[in-house]
Amino acid sequence: MNGRSNLTPALLAAPSLVVYAGALLLPLGGVLLLSLHGFDFEKGILPGWGLENYRDLLTDSLFAESLLRTLRIALWTTAICLLVGVPEAWIIYRMAPRWRGAMLLIVVGPLLVSVVVRNFGWMVLLGTTGLVNQVLTILGVPGAPFRLMFTELAVVIGLVHVMVPLVVLSVWASLGRLDPVLERAAFSLGASRLTVFRRVVLPNVMPGIMAGALMVFCLSASAFATPAMLGGKRLKVVSSMTYNEFLNTLNWPLGAALATLLMVAILTATLIWTRFVETRAMRRLGEVAEGGKGGSRA
Amino acid sequence: MAAPHFLTLDRIGKDYGAFTAIREVSFSVAPGEFLGLLGPSGCGKTTTLQMIAGFEAPSRGRITMDGRDLTTVPAAKRGIGLVFQSYALFPHMTAAENVAFGLEMRRVSKAERIKRVAEALDLVHLAHLADRFPRQMSGGQQQRVALARALVIEPRLLLLDEPLSNLDAKLREEMQVELRELQRRIGVTTILVTHDQSEAMALCDRVAIMQGGRIVQIDAPWRAYDVPADDFVADFLGRSNRLPACAGGGQAEAGGHRFALPPDLADRQGDILLTIRPERLRIGNDGAAGLGGRVQSRLFLGGFWLYAVETALGSFAVMLQNTGSVPHDEGAPVTLDWDAHSLRRLERA
Ligand SMILES: Nc1ncnc2c1ncn2[C@@H]1O[C@H](COP(=O)(O)OP(=O)(O)OP(=O)(O)O)[C@@H](O)[C@H]1O
Ligand SMILES: [Mg+2]
Repeated sequence: MNGRSNLTPALLAAPSLVVYAGALLLPLGGVLLLSLHGFDFEKGILPGWGLENYRDLLTDSLFAESLLRTLRIALWTTAICLLVGVPEAWIIYRMAPRWRGAMLLIVVGPLLVSVVVRNFGWMVLLGTTGLVNQVLTILGVPGAPFRLMFTELAVVIGLVHVMVPLVVLSVWASLGRLDPVLERAAFSLGASRLTVFRRVVLPNVMPGIMAGALMVFCLSASAFATPAMLGGKRLKVVSSMTYNEFLNTLNWPLGAALATLLMVAILTATLIWTRFVETRAMRRLGEVAEGGKGGSRA
Repeated sequence: MAAPHFLTLDRIGKDYGAFTAIREVSFSVAPGEFLGLLGPSGCGKTTTLQMIAGFEAPSRGRITMDGRDLTTVPAAKRGIGLVFQSYALFPHMTAAENVAFGLEMRRVSKAERIKRVAEALDLVHLAHLADRFPRQMSGGQQQRVALARALVIEPRLLLLDEPLSNLDAKLREEMQVELRELQRRIGVTTILVTHDQSEAMALCDRVAIMQGGRIVQIDAPWRAYDVPADDFVADFLGRSNRLPACAGGGQAEAGGHRFALPPDLADRQGDILLTIRPERLRIGNDGAAGLGGRVQSRLFLGGFWLYAVETALGSFAVMLQNTGSVPHDEGAPVTLDWDAHSLRRLERA
């Protein structure tokens, strides 16, 4: 073996590394550096370095509140997306082939509509005199009409709408790798349809579910347009605070610190998720049939 | 057959759109019988099995088991043990969990479940691998888990779809013996699908030979082998040599050799197509009575020699037992000889 063949992998990876570094690491580094500068309304960005921005944010109750809200919205969105998306993928998978294509197209529909148009649609539906409240009033639901717009509920609804396709598609990919004979085997052993789904299909598509959940969580936590439009000015999330600092207050260093903290929060949540939730869930689902074995495993 | 029928397929047919996969299949299986379903690829074996199991609905006809019409009984309620060609073990469950699954579905108590799973794994000699996942087992071990999983629910009918096709020759032979023994011991009615004719003949009480969505012959293996219903069966079950001859007066003539016809063909006149199995031919030294030819090639198979002998009527395969005597050399002139009762007439020329 000569030296050249050892270099080949590095050389082959070089173009994508350059793009990666240029398009991701460089701007990220820029943001990080920016967040260490001070700011003055008269003089703009100050040349000195320091951690004041972070100190200010971490002691700010408004920031704590919006960070909590951001994570809460992301968690609810993820949970609802899973509850809707996983069965949805399964149902479409079970359809006759000629329906499947059309159904998948309908499912990815929300992704094809611009975020602004989609959110305006929800504003129309969720307003005090909107369709939803009209229907609730006609049905005589006590308390109707409700205040739906500019609530966390509205934000979650708007996010779920666009995120469900991600779960459906990633579960769909896992289902494609599932051997259909497994279902027949389960049926032949006397399993009901629900049991087949719970005991055979679900554990085998777990990787797809986990990947979908992660995508939805990260995208929801960093979503900007939907919280801004459906949550309004008062319901701040971290990304809308960041936007505000950059474009309204023009305090770029503070905005950069906000962006950095959001990224750290999402990364931490992701790590906790993959380290604990994912492995534990996989193991648990793999061992549902615990009672059936000889009990000899240590 | 005098025994009461356990499973009966009555003029079953199956269409996939405009394509007819099963034209008409009727047969009955006696309780405890081991039936082989045999035929070339695409003849409809798997389709037939899936219809019995309840995963494909027949387009025509009726399936009854134990006197009960199965048409409206869903697969999960048929109580049929099924071993798929690909094993279809649940990849996220250990061997023991796989075997336990069917018992859990039947709400068998935990204590009894543990006992029966252990027994089933014992039956297939896999007790020591109970906690392995399928991906940690060899093909043969997986296949035995699949068998244990199908047997543990004490099925009234066991369906095996080419269960040994992925195994190497040695393991396959071992599994054949084990399977046969197991089936005898438990006495479960079994249908085995295979396209390996020697496997079917070795294992089964009767074989059903399928071709193009039909059953051409259903008989004991040795009868199907010795008295094939037609050309197709004769060719499919083992090798056979064709011998076109001209008959007259209880005798026939081919390639300048005159020979006697068996009694059932004695009254034949004119052109006739005969067949003879390779192991029924004898090779004589040049000059002996018989059909003249020359050794084209010879293969040593341990217990047997397989010769190809070129004659005026084409090449003949000859299988001779290895008796330790000096073999015929390649290129040597020889003659072929046979007993009259070894000759069969083919339906079609
Ligand atoms: N779902 C289907 N749609 C259309 N045609 C089918 C379908 N399933 C099977 N067939 C056709 O029906 C015929 C019988 O198929 P089957 O799987 O029963 O064959 P087989 O005897 O099991 O063959 P093999 O030995 O290769 O497994 C084949 O010609 C096949 O192409
Ligand atoms: Mg098949």
